[in-house]
Amino acid sequence: MKVTVKHWHAVAQWRWDTGAEAEGNDENEDVCGICRVPYEGCCPSCKMPGDDCPLIWGECTHVFHMHCLLKWIGTPASKQQCPMDRRTWVTAERKIGNS
Amino acid sequence: MATAALRSQVAAKWHEGFNRLNRSEPGISGLLSFSQAWNIATDYLHPRDISDPTSVKHHDLPSVKASFDLINRSRRLPVMLETFLDDICDQYHLIVRDIEQYLAEYEESADTSVILRLVFRLVEWYRAWAPIDELGPTIRAAYTLTFQTQLFSILPPAFVRGFKALCASTLVPVAQLAPPMWEAFEVLGLTDRYEGIIASVGYERIEDYVRETCTGRWDKPCLEELRVWMTEQIVPWMLPMYAKGAGNTEDARGMLQNVGSRFDFHMNKTLCDLRTSEIFDIIIDFPDSNGALQDLKECLQRVDQRSSLVQALRKANRKRLLHPGADTKLILSQYVATIKCLRIVDPPGVLLFKVADPIRRYLRERPDTIRSIVANLVGDDDSGDSLVDENEPIQPLQQLETEDYNDPHWDPEPIDAGPDFRTNKPSDVISTLVSIYDSKDLFVKELQVLLAQRLLAITDDNFEKVEKERRNIEILKIRFGEAALQVCEVMLRDMTDSKRIDGHVQSQKASIVHPTIISRHFWPSLESSDIVMPGQFQALQTQYAKEFSTFKPDKKLRWLPHLGTVHLELQLEDRTIETDVPPLEAAFIELFSEKNTWTMDELIEGVGAVDRTAALKALITWIDLGVLKEDEENTFRLLEVTEEAAPSSRTAPTASETPTVTAAQQQQADQMRLYWKFIEGMLTNLGSLPLDRIQTMLRFAPGYDQTVEQLARFMEAARREGLVVGRDGMWKLNR
Repeated sequence: MKVTVKHWHAVAQWRWDTGAEAEGNDENEDVCGICRVPYEGCCPSCKMPGDDCPLIWGECTHVFHMHCLLKWIGTPASKQQCPMDRRTWVTAERKIGNS
Repeated sequence: MATAALRSQVAAKWHEGFNRLNRSEPGISGLLSFSQAWNIATDYLHPRDISDPTSVKHHDLPSVKASFDLINRSRRLPVMLETFLDDICDQYHLIVRDIEQYLAEYEESADTSVILRLVFRLVEWYRAWAPIDELGPTIRAAYTLTFQTQLFSILPPAFVRGFKALCASTLVPVAQLAPPMWEAFEVLGLTDRYEGIIASVGYERIEDYVRETCTGRWDKPCLEELRVWMTEQIVPWMLPMYAKGAGNTEDARGMLQNVGSRFDFHMNKTLCDLRTSEIFDIIIDFPDSNGALQDLKECLQRVDQRSSLVQALRKANRKRLLHPGADTKLILSQYVATIKCLRIVDPPGVLLFKVADPIRRYLRERPDTIRSIVANLVGDDDSGDSLVDENEPIQPLQQLETEDYNDPHWDPEPIDAGPDFRTNKPSDVISTLVSIYDSKDLFVKELQVLLAQRLLAITDDNFEKVEKERRNIEILKIRFGEAALQVCEVMLRDMTDSKRIDGHVQSQKASIVHPTIISRHFWPSLESSDIVMPGQFQALQTQYAKEFSTFKPDKKLRWLPHLGTVHLELQLEDRTIETDVPPLEAAFIELFSEKNTWTMDELIEGVGAVDRTAALKALITWIDLGVLKEDEENTFRLLEVTEEAAPSSRTAPTASETPTVTAAQQQQADQMRLYWKFIEGMLTNLGSLPLDRIQTMLRFAPGYDQTVEQLARFMEAARREGLVVGRDGMWKLNR
């Protein structure tokens, strides 16, 4: 017997490719360290997730919603530091296709 | 023993009497002439038998008059009258004889004309016995009274029946002989005596007519027609009785006003009773029954029947609507029709409030009420008739408001409103439906679930459906508010994005996979599944995911393999089969392309982990298509060549119809599972805890919104799974 797939209407979820992560674990999903909303959700000031509310990667390996981080950096108290480890925030280069 | 004084007293009296009769005539000539006059007068007055022609006597009227004159002068007229009246009583047996005769005839023939003849005969008697007018009205009145009293005392019940029939017979059609008949009634005093009966004839006629013409006729108002009928049929009938002696129409109208309004009231009441008894069906027929509702409204203003209407409708609802046999959709549409109907009948909504209460309470107990309402909102109804009137303006849900006393148009609540009645009840249908429940969140949740189901069912062939959903959501946004439906907005955007992305990916590298890519967190929890698609499916997935990641470098795909549909072509030795199947079915058949015989366990292992019932269902799909055969239990063989369809040893398990999207209720349980971690931690650290302690501590967990009851149910479920033990109200981990 030969099975030929003519057409497949599939369903998939998109995820941010945050590099290091434990694949396949739904429960311990990563949340933004600032707003505590999952990465795939959107920051409090956004309504649409995904490309409209992207993530930002730091050299320190921490990842946040971009809007959240920029807001943080915008406040004087931040001293331009990463909120997680208090190192000076340096936005990492996007590692396209490096994995 | 007579003393002298007494003797002289008697002598004086006697002398006085003698003088009165004898007047001042010489000797006793006066006495003689009086005696003669008395004889003439009594003979003249004596009631004669009119059926006996020999009894007719001819009197010399002048001498009779002279006699009466003489008696009057002697002031013996009262005595004369008494004698006359006694004579009447004595002679009444003649009339009794006649009446009996006539009634016997009537009983036999049931012909009302007999009664009519009887009445005329009685009038004859009355006329024959009447004293001459010269005696003055007093004597005439006394005579009439005696005659009538006698008459009424001897009229048997049979006469009343006949009389009623006679009156009724004059109604349809209005008889021409009516005027003399009414005159005769009047002469005999029957009109006054039997007024109730005559009126009841009228009432019965009205009742019959209303029932006859209006039962089941709801399309247009009847009241106007009935009024016309009344003026044309009943009023002329009433005229001779109630407007006797009216000189002109003006007078007649004035006289009729009273009785006319009584008849009109009765007509209203009859119609009202009729419509009340029909109300349930009238509501079913709405809007074709608009006329009946207009009638009812008008009638209720005249007749105080509101409470009986409420009673009747509540009873009918209880009997015909609020029982397990009725479909929720049906109850809802009847409820909506009730709302619309009673709004016509009673705009302030008191009736509606009273009737709606049991319906709402009943609906609240039904598990699928919300689903039905929401399905209807998004136009998912199979029946096609929407609960919502398209003409009704779309407006935001109205919240119950407290009364605004600054409102210049404020009206007090209607007098029969109950204590919890609110004038500011939401007026549009959707608001009313949503207000069955305390919060609209349940609706929004259900709406999301429904939308998700519908969106996932859309394949890219009919993408315009997404546009339809979008329109729906836009309308619903007006009702539920923008914020509540934000999630739906994301879902819709996922649909368009998927299409765009797919378009791009296909342009780079054509694939037969066309996925819908969804943003998790914004879709109702989709049942997770651990199916691993075998063979070429896996390859297709990986390939597509790779293309996707090239297009969107910072994102990757995670497949939900149990969702979607696959269009397959199977090339077997003797036939090709083309079909649309769910992915699990596709996965199984893919396995069969490796080897021809598989056991159930092997198959399940082949696709990762899958529920046995689901697996069986998938296999039965193929068995039904004649592709597989279950040789012995749990062993399946591919049929390269068609075999005679053996009677299927298994039937599809009933519980297999698994919804792909978890219903709101299920979601709640899932949500609870999330807090299991907390509970587990708590019980590990603290040993055993009572339920309310667990609840208190869980409150610190972010987003925890379950009630103690829900928690208790969850703990009970956990106990059944052997995770915890509960003893004396204390819970601890089971190990």
